[in-house]
Amino acid sequence: MHRAAAPKQALSELPSARPAPAQARVGFGLRVPHYDEILSDGLRADFAEAISENFLSRGGRAFSVLERVRAEMPVALHGVSLSIGGMDPLSESYLAELATLATRIAACSVSDHLCFGTFGGHYAHDLWPLPYTEEALSHVVERVQRVQDRLGRRLLLENVSSYVEYRASTLTEWEFVGEVVTRADAGLLLDLNNVFVSAKNHEFSPLTYLRALPKERVQQIHLAGHSDAGSYLFDDHGSPVSAEVWRLYEESLQLFGVVPTIVEWDEQLPELSVLEAEADRARTLSNAHLAKRHEALR
Amino acid sequence: MNLAELQRYFASAATSGSGPLSELDRVFSSTEQLSASDRLGIYNRGYFYRLLDALSSVFGQTKRELGEAEFERLGLGYIARHPSEHPAVERFGRSFAEYLRGIDAPTVSVDLAKLEWARLCALVAPNPSRVATADAIDPSRFPRARLRFVPSLHWLELDPRALSAFAGVDPATTALSCRVAVWRNRHVVLHQSLHDAEAEALFSAVEGATLSHVCAVFDSGSPAEDIRRAFQVLSGWFSRHWLESVTYDRA
Repeated sequence: MHRAAAPKQALSELPSARPAPAQARVGFGLRVPHYDEILSDGLRADFAEAISENFLSRGGRAFSVLERVRAEMPVALHGVSLSIGGMDPLSESYLAELATLATRIAACSVSDHLCFGTFGGHYAHDLWPLPYTEEALSHVVERVQRVQDRLGRRLLLENVSSYVEYRASTLTEWEFVGEVVTRADAGLLLDLNNVFVSAKNHEFSPLTYLRALPKERVQQIHLAGHSDAGSYLFDDHGSPVSAEVWRLYEESLQLFGVVPTIVEWDEQLPELSVLEAEADRARTLSNAHLAKRHEALR
Repeated sequence: MNLAELQRYFASAATSGSGPLSELDRVFSSTEQLSASDRLGIYNRGYFYRLLDALSSVFGQTKRELGEAEFERLGLGYIARHPSEHPAVERFGRSFAEYLRGIDAPTVSVDLAKLEWARLCALVAPNPSRVATADAIDPSRFPRARLRFVPSLHWLELDPRALSAFAGVDPATTALSCRVAVWRNRHVVLHQSLHDAEAEALFSAVEGATLSHVCAVFDSGSPAEDIRRAFQVLSGWFSRHWLESVTYDRA
């Protein structure tokens, strides 16, 4: 396992723009039902996503899986409990454990969700949406900066899917997301399925959303499936990426270029080969985009 | 409402076990297709579903013992009384056995929950820095040896019926309680009941006693038998991979 410590570097020294990749990097998440297969056969991907909270304890099968995968490819740490928009103080013990883990595996990125998930010292284990107000914006930006200082690296923030809108909001979601990552000097982990789900649930155009984002901040993309609950779309990560979200992915290639991409699947997990096929599709689209670009540059 | 008030209101609505709050429409938008109440209901159901699911995944045998409906009823009570305090959802059940005891749930269910929680703790415990083998014992310094155990080793006192229920077999004993060791051998979590003398020796060793003190529990008046018994128990600890290292006091 590669254990080189991530060099502590001032954020201002880090490039805010993503360099143009020579080839697509696509992977998927490490999930418990696949652990045995991963331990015996490894993973066929360019990089992998590990849910930070599942690997904080430094032991057992989960950690063996992480070590096995990390020996073969970069790992992106993706958290669900930071509660970057919450009113509870940031958990110093959680940040310390996260920093240790990120250093130990030389994580290629550390991300969490642009939402809140704590209340009165408790964890909701959910991704609750924030009101899009100036007050929330300042609050989140200040906390992102503190987290980045603590981790000594740029944090990637993921847009969440949502089912409610606060009447108090004075900004659109895309304005809020763009302002947070720009003001905090953070990266954007753009979840295209979340954009699509929220667009349907709140009746806006997903393309308007994508076109308004600060391009240079988009540093990772998530793809996942959702289900149709009749009167709303539900972000359950329990099915293949939908045709509409694949179209958004193609659109995102035009807008943001080729971005490292993770396919997520959390419910009713299929065989690893199904996830590999989804990742292959993203890789094929990305490589086709790169080939076109190279052709155009000749 | 400011940000703090909005978050408090949202959290109350999302975690309420008693239906929608008043004034939802004043805080959240509705559409023709979906009211504010319906929208908050998605989060409310998600909150309880996710935590119940976390309990089910850790306390599978307790759930089987209690029955699905009763487990859900007790689980919802637990969620209301003990909101999650750990960033990892799998740790949500830390006080579940205690909660079951507090509401006078059947002893077997309480102890099954204790056992299943101990098994989770063993599952996620840090890896040992190394696993000691029996040749780490220097016979010439045996009485001055102290043992260091692997982080996953836990022990607890249970109603033996809980062990039978876990295994899905009829109780094999009428004893009121038994002491059980729980540990992880590489990736596999195991548990085993201990005889009284072994349990006493284990507690003594974990407390940091030297082997001369630890082996005193085997004193039966027959030195040959005592040595045989002590050797058997210590060999068992090594073969189960319970030991991380052996250190020696100076002479």
